[in-house]
Amino acid sequence: VERAVALAARLADRDDPLGKEARRDLALTSGLSREGVELALTEHLEVAISGDDLASLLAAVDTAPRCQVILAANVGTAALRAIALALAASSEVTIRPSRRDPGLAPILARELGIAVAEVITAAPGDALHVYGTDATIAEVRAAAAPGVIVTGHGTGLGIAIVSAGVDLREAARALAADVIPFDQRGCLSPRVAVVEGDADRAAAFAAALDAALRDLGARVPRGDVDEATRAAIALYGAAIDAVGERFAGPQHVVGLDPAPRALQLPPAARVVHVVPARAIDSARLLGPWAGFVTTVGSSGPGALLDAALALAPEARPAALGKMQRPPLDGPVDRRGLGK
Amino acid sequence: VNSFSSLDSDALHARVQAFLRAAIVDPARTPEGFDAIAVALARHQAAHIPAVARLARARGIDLATATRAAEVPAVPCDVFRLTRVAAHPAGDDVAVFRTSGTSQGREARGEHALRTTATYELGARLWAERLLWPDTTRLRAIVLASPLAEQPDSSLGFMLDRFATLLGGGSFHLRSGALDAAGVAAAAAAARDADEPALVLATSFALVHLLDAQSGLDLRLPRGSRVMQTGGFKGRSREVAPDELRAAVSSAFAVPGAQVIGEYGMTELSSQLYETTLAAALGKWPANEARHGVYAAPPWVRVTAVDPITLAALPDGEIGIARLVDLANVDSAVAIQTADRVRVLPGSTGNHSIELLGRAPGAPPRGCSIAVDDMLGPP
Repeated sequence: VERAVALAARLADRDDPLGKEARRDLALTSGLSREGVELALTEHLEVAISGDDLASLLAAVDTAPRCQVILAANVGTAALRAIALALAASSEVTIRPSRRDPGLAPILARELGIAVAEVITAAPGDALHVYGTDATIAEVRAAAAPGVIVTGHGTGLGIAIVSAGVDLREAARALAADVIPFDQRGCLSPRVAVVEGDADRAAAFAAALDAALRDLGARVPRGDVDEATRAAIALYGAAIDAVGERFAGPQHVVGLDPAPRALQLPPAARVVHVVPARAIDSARLLGPWAGFVTTVGSSGPGALLDAALALAPEARPAALGKMQRPPLDGPVDRRGLGK
Repeated sequence: VNSFSSLDSDALHARVQAFLRAAIVDPARTPEGFDAIAVALARHQAAHIPAVARLARARGIDLATATRAAEVPAVPCDVFRLTRVAAHPAGDDVAVFRTSGTSQGREARGEHALRTTATYELGARLWAERLLWPDTTRLRAIVLASPLAEQPDSSLGFMLDRFATLLGGGSFHLRSGALDAAGVAAAAAAARDADEPALVLATSFALVHLLDAQSGLDLRLPRGSRVMQTGGFKGRSREVAPDELRAAVSSAFAVPGAQVIGEYGMTELSSQLYETTLAAALGKWPANEARHGVYAAPPWVRVTAVDPITLAALPDGEIGIARLVDLANVDSAVAIQTADRVRVLPGSTGNHSIELLGRAPGAPPRGCSIAVDDMLGPP
């Protein structure tokens, strides 16, 4: 694990030959802009691990004679944590990177001497780590031989809580710093911001977030957006035009629903859905989503935050601005770890 | 938003019903034009439904001067989930139809509230008489769906209940979510014994469950029988390709493939579209315009394919997502924007027919951020 982390430090270094190779590879496969790749490698790759975090990471996995890893077309840097978890489970690791978007997996495998296979065949007793949609994980689990210990790492989303009494512009700048990395395609990426208070406060926050995303987006442009995603953004925008207010930037959208009956999941392309709520609304609004929430970001303590964390107790709590920088203490997604 | 007047609403329902009755006979001889009614409905809706008014403002549309249905802003289906889309107060609801249950719970389901079902029922009956039973009403309804009492908020359940009533009762074979395959076989046997044709009204997933359970059951139906299937699978059964399902249904019920027809409808609409192969086989529709996968809209519905990114109308024949103007949506939203991919086909009947090409694909999964479809699973 420590070798993997040391390697990450080289990948983060733009002057290191490996760092150059990583930038070249991610520019070709990740769909992020050049600046987005740079941000991912320099700010969101785990280049250090504390003793406590290493102990947590080791405790988070079951050891096995062999560990096989099926990687998804995940955000580019995610392979590092996936491989670190596999190495914590076993000294004999085989990975199958995504063909479409292998991210850093090929470089990490080569430099760490990890086997790469086109087909994963897990035997009884093996650990099998699967990354992908819940449906993919269920398929792999169903097809696995008896005795294979399958661990799924599914998809999810982050939710931001803007607590009462905090400075809205500051909170908006911090949230923008969580939305921009990976163009919001990470399972910790915030898709919805719940503003404690009334519709006016939510509107003020939406305007501040729009401004913050404009500023940060100018420095880190969004990568290419495919047609299907553009279509999803168009339909989301049309729905928001009907229920509230749309703040459309050149490379982002903030949608305000001032009187939410239910939450709307916006497309993952720097699109943030903003609603007002009080703690008493949390069960109605957040309850149905609780099982999908991987992290709850917040701008400070408050009744709404307490209610959100009570609904999603396995979600990682994080400060706004730090939602995409979880310590390397286990899987980013901790749902189900307690089971 | 102005105070709601039930008299104004009643007057609009009367205008629409007069249009429906005339259009089903001859779409060219209606008491007033499609566009005039569509615009009148849009003004009524914008006056009482904040979502419609906001959408018009956001599009820069002045409904006071609008003259064409194409100018009416289309309300995306998602809006029915996010806010109430009804001109009348909730206290006047006589029915609230909800979209299918999902893992997101009741609050996350779209709602279509009606203050009267009369216009809905008239439109459903007139179009079914044209495309489901244009030759006879002597049909036994065998319904592979839950009775209305078990699903009072299902628009499909409401429609099937009314169809069964129109045909003299019928039998329902899905109870508490479980399909009674033996009951279907018994109903088929009774139809054979009486030599009375049957109309099977079924959801696609119920048909799959029936086919999976039919071993040893005789489901053959008498000559003249037909099957209407609707809806997707939504995780409630294994997925079966349309051609494969139709062939299996045709074989199991001993009904010609042309007489197994699909319905296209949705909670947010009040009207339905059907495949026309049955009507064509009976000589009631141009044979050269009838094929599976093509659905005909009634003359009170206009379908336009729009560009999925700009939402601007596309010429007939091009593929886009469906924008439907449904005059039977009197107190909700007369124009609806779906995410269903369609090609609008010109036809000699004057009706809009669409080739249904499936739901617009969501954004391809990249990264581990969850997709909408992954969250809206079955309950």
